[in-house]
Amino acid sequence: MVEEVKSGISQLLRERRPVEEPYGEKGYHLSVDMAPKDLIDVGRFFKEKGFYLACALCVDFRDYLELVYFFAHHEGHCRVKVTSRLDPQAPYAPSLSSVFGSALWYEREIHEFFGVRFEGHPNMAYLFLHGGIDFYPLRKEKVMVSEEDRALLNSFRPEEGEDTFFINLGPQHPSTHGVLRVVLKMDGEYIERAEPVMGYLHRMHEKMAENRTYLQFLPNTGRMDYLGAMAFNLGYVTAVERLCGIKAPPRAQYVRVIATELNRISSHLLWLGAYLADLGAMTPFLYVFDDREQILDILEGITGSRLTYCYFRFGGLFNDVDEDFITGVRRFIARMRGRFQIYDDLVTKNVIFINRTRNVGVITRETARQYGVSGPVLRGAGIAMDMRKKEPYAAYGEFDFSIPTGSYGDAHDIYLVRFKEMEESLNIIEQALNGLPEGPIMAEKVPKKLKPPKGDLYHVVETPRGELGIYIVSDESDIPYRMKWRVPSFANLMVFPELVRGCLLADAIAILGSLDLVIPEIDR
Amino acid sequence: MIEDIVGKIGQEALRLIIGLVGVVAFVVVNALLLTWMERKVAGHMQRRIGPKEVGPFGLLQPIADALKLLGKEILTPKKVEKPLYYLAPTLIFIPALTSFVVIPFDAYLQVQDINVGILVILALSSLTVLSILVAGWGSENKYSLIGAIRSVAQNVAYEIPLLLSLLPVVMLTNSLSLKDIVEAQGKIWFVVLQPVAFFIYFIAAVAETNRTPFDLPEAESELVAGYHTEYSGMRFALFFLAEYTNIFIVSAIATTFFLGGYRGPLLPGILWFFIKSYLLVFVIMWFRWTYPRVRFDQLLNFSWKMLIPLTFVNLIITGGLLKL
Repeated sequence: MVEEVKSGISQLLRERRPVEEPYGEKGYHLSVDMAPKDLIDVGRFFKEKGFYLACALCVDFRDYLELVYFFAHHEGHCRVKVTSRLDPQAPYAPSLSSVFGSALWYEREIHEFFGVRFEGHPNMAYLFLHGGIDFYPLRKEKVMVSEEDRALLNSFRPEEGEDTFFINLGPQHPSTHGVLRVVLKMDGEYIERAEPVMGYLHRMHEKMAENRTYLQFLPNTGRMDYLGAMAFNLGYVTAVERLCGIKAPPRAQYVRVIATELNRISSHLLWLGAYLADLGAMTPFLYVFDDREQILDILEGITGSRLTYCYFRFGGLFNDVDEDFITGVRRFIARMRGRFQIYDDLVTKNVIFINRTRNVGVITRETARQYGVSGPVLRGAGIAMDMRKKEPYAAYGEFDFSIPTGSYGDAHDIYLVRFKEMEESLNIIEQALNGLPEGPIMAEKVPKKLKPPKGDLYHVVETPRGELGIYIVSDESDIPYRMKWRVPSFANLMVFPELVRGCLLADAIAILGSLDLVIPEIDR
Repeated sequence: MIEDIVGKIGQEALRLIIGLVGVVAFVVVNALLLTWMERKVAGHMQRRIGPKEVGPFGLLQPIADALKLLGKEILTPKKVEKPLYYLAPTLIFIPALTSFVVIPFDAYLQVQDINVGILVILALSSLTVLSILVAGWGSENKYSLIGAIRSVAQNVAYEIPLLLSLLPVVMLTNSLSLKDIVEAQGKIWFVVLQPVAFFIYFIAAVAETNRTPFDLPEAESELVAGYHTEYSGMRFALFFLAEYTNIFIVSAIATTFFLGGYRGPLLPGILWFFIKSYLLVFVIMWFRWTYPRVRFDQLLNFSWKMLIPLTFVNLIITGGLLKL
């Protein structure tokens, strides 16, 4: 696949050649630099080849701004970095939004943080920020927002027609689970248009990363996805280890897997309860909290915290697990298998539940590719992409587990996928417990001050919500030059306006719930 | 002669006044009891124990809640349609209160036995939807309005099966008086003769009282709180009170029509009546803590395409059998 892409791009561009990169150190197979005008042609090429736009970002190198696009493939193992240099005085680039739907929001993000203007983009309004910020926050020098750009950024207005009205779903609403606001244009109970508005919890983690050392940034990771904090922690730790060439000992890797999978189950359990509460059934919420509490107790025993964990360290773990932990986890596995049976009987087979979720929010493979959807939502659509299998990190390569997939891509399929994923997680934990090696939990000689070699890395892990991509640019100092977080909920939310068009309000709630969004992760 | 009439009118008036005072007292006590019951039922279904601190078994919890609601500041949002906004909570209470007049709690315990009793109840219960509409409209809130619109559509759809499912019983007894209907069930309860009608009535009754799985007008996860989003304090409490009163009324009617009313062995009639009614109330609560909510179009389809044809079939079969 890599060869095919290489020759294809060479033919397309002629004067620029793609460069093969060491995947183990960089996290991508090919990189190609090109003039901005070629971007759309290259985007079309990737679209034809069945790639999806995993991430788009920008890096300010002072002399020039570098646009970076990551294209990846669902089935094949091939990731391509496409870059293009822009003039920092007048950064203009063509918009890829006509080719990839997911470019819509990534470009808006780049626009408000770097001031890059995308020509042909339909809506360049604020995504995260607000009018009170008069400069581009991620530029290395202070660049003020021009009057013309300000008008563009403030251009969002809720629409209201003769027969339609708009309604604000959130930011204070029982079903948005956080401070997400969706402006709905309604025709009676039917939705004509949905426009998510974000940024109510925006903390600018990416800018914070440019102001502190690698270790100092570690606690921030658990604050992004507070339900899957372990997975974010693990992603960041493994990324930095890969960048610096540190190898964590096997025991640490196994414990990492156990802790992350426990966290994945707790996240999915919370989703299960919240989703059913969205559909009007309150009782399961308390049942899943009962189970979740067991996980939190176990994790509290080893990490000291119950929600925003910060357990992993570069090169290993914060502390070792003991016998109590192992017996506790074994007891939990036995208990949980019985509980799944209860949920299956009471929820999965409930006729009202089936009626509410079947044929609701159908995500086709094409839509999934168009918007770069990932995680259980993608697997519900029938694409078996799981980063734990595809690009194994920690000790995931050593375990035998399957990737549950749906066939139809509706909310019910996504529900079933998450449900089976919890069972798979139990299997992984059991295998890891059985094979837990003895030995140290920290790598030897991890320097206090990490100074990774010059270069960049795109590292991918599978969080409970999907593909988390961490892009780090290092300039050999102990502070990251640029860090970009490609978060799964952000891409998953992008597909929401597409799915709810023409739906009933109640369906919109069911769809929003099935995407399992965590707002602090979207806002970062 | 005239004295007799005056005396009789006076007697009737006295009876009505005592009855109404009794009804008001009962409504309040009933609502308090049902709030407690709902919380206990919910608690036990959710692996908790519910209220237990205030009073024995937490029985005084609803009173504490009521005091809290009474003590709250009565807020009026700026943009509401004031007359309608003020009117709605009072209005919703009138049908709930007056329906009690015709319900026979026992052979001798009925405020007024009207020979068109069931029509009175059905006519009054249709009024509830009017006050919900007034509340939703007067709140000037889009969520409230959607809730009110849903409520109207839902009530229109479920009023029909509700009425049609009671008709076979009327055909069996040839009377519209509730007391006659209870007396007619001396040998056998109508639930045995009319099981289909009973189930349809019960489903329609759950829908009429806006309870889960048909609680669309106040669907929390969709419409925040539906038609009473803008109400707080005592005004909200009145909606709450009316909801629980309505739950009791539909259960009481089901008891009267299908479960033999106050009839039963050993225990006094009034006890039987309450046992049966609260059992049905419990079932309605059970629904709420078990089922998710249906969608709006599914709700209407269920009524128009399933329940209404079924009631007609049931009606025709009953009529045919009676003719034989």
